[in-house]
Amino acid sequence: MFERFTRDARDSVARAQDMARSAGADRIGAEHLLLAAVADPGSVAARSLDRLGIAPSSLAVSVRALGPDVLDAEALALVGVDLESVRTQVEATFGPGALDAATAPSTGRLALGPAAKKLLELALREAIRFASHRIDTGHLLLAAARMDGAAAASALAWFGHDRTAVERAVVATWAEGASE
Amino acid sequence: MPDHTLMTAAAGDDPAEGLRAVRSLRVLADRLEALQVERARGLGWPWQQIADALGVTRQAVHKKYGKRFP
Repeated sequence: MFERFTRDARDSVARAQDMARSAGADRIGAEHLLLAAVADPGSVAARSLDRLGIAPSSLAVSVRALGPDVLDAEALALVGVDLESVRTQVEATFGPGALDAATAPSTGRLALGPAAKKLLELALREAIRFASHRIDTGHLLLAAARMDGAAAASALAWFGHDRTAVERAVVATWAEGASE
Repeated sequence: MPDHTLMTAAAGDDPAEGLRAVRSLRVLADRLEALQVERARGLGWPWQQIADALGVTRQAVHKKYGKRFP
């Protein structure tokens, strides 16, 4: 399916692999694809985000907060682990923010997880809906906004943008002329 | 009575709560492991020594961290 992808969109899929790995994920998630799509400031996805007033870095922060690799203080308290005191002790040894910055390792090439596959499938569907010849990062962003319940879509929603707003921004960016 | 709710959940009568706790414990353990391995490597520990301390094979720990903390 990648033959219809623009260079940017293809780069995003490759970059998502690195992002998933450095996040310590065991597979590529929809959120890694989303963050990869907006990583290049010239991409349709990044320019659309810019229209919505969202910086890629703050999107990354909210994706991480909503993602699966999250320390749930409430759940830990249920088994008698006080996350705050763990954090205090870890930071005493490893410095401020150490526990939150630490990520579990992952090995080898990561496969696309079910959510990432779903996102690519939705991107293809968006391309059909807009009668687009190619699939670019704008389609990836549109697809991310359609991922019900996934960290990718929740992060966008967290900024107060539903998929209609995202769609408007992407369409406006396309109209402005693609740089990809 | 939030305290009562906590106690009940800790006793494990709701699998959803219990599993959520297990998942977070795993994330916590993974993060602590990564921090400690990085530190040990920084202090010059050989992979074998780290593996022994973790109770895994040298190959396993090297495969997991070799690229990140060479």
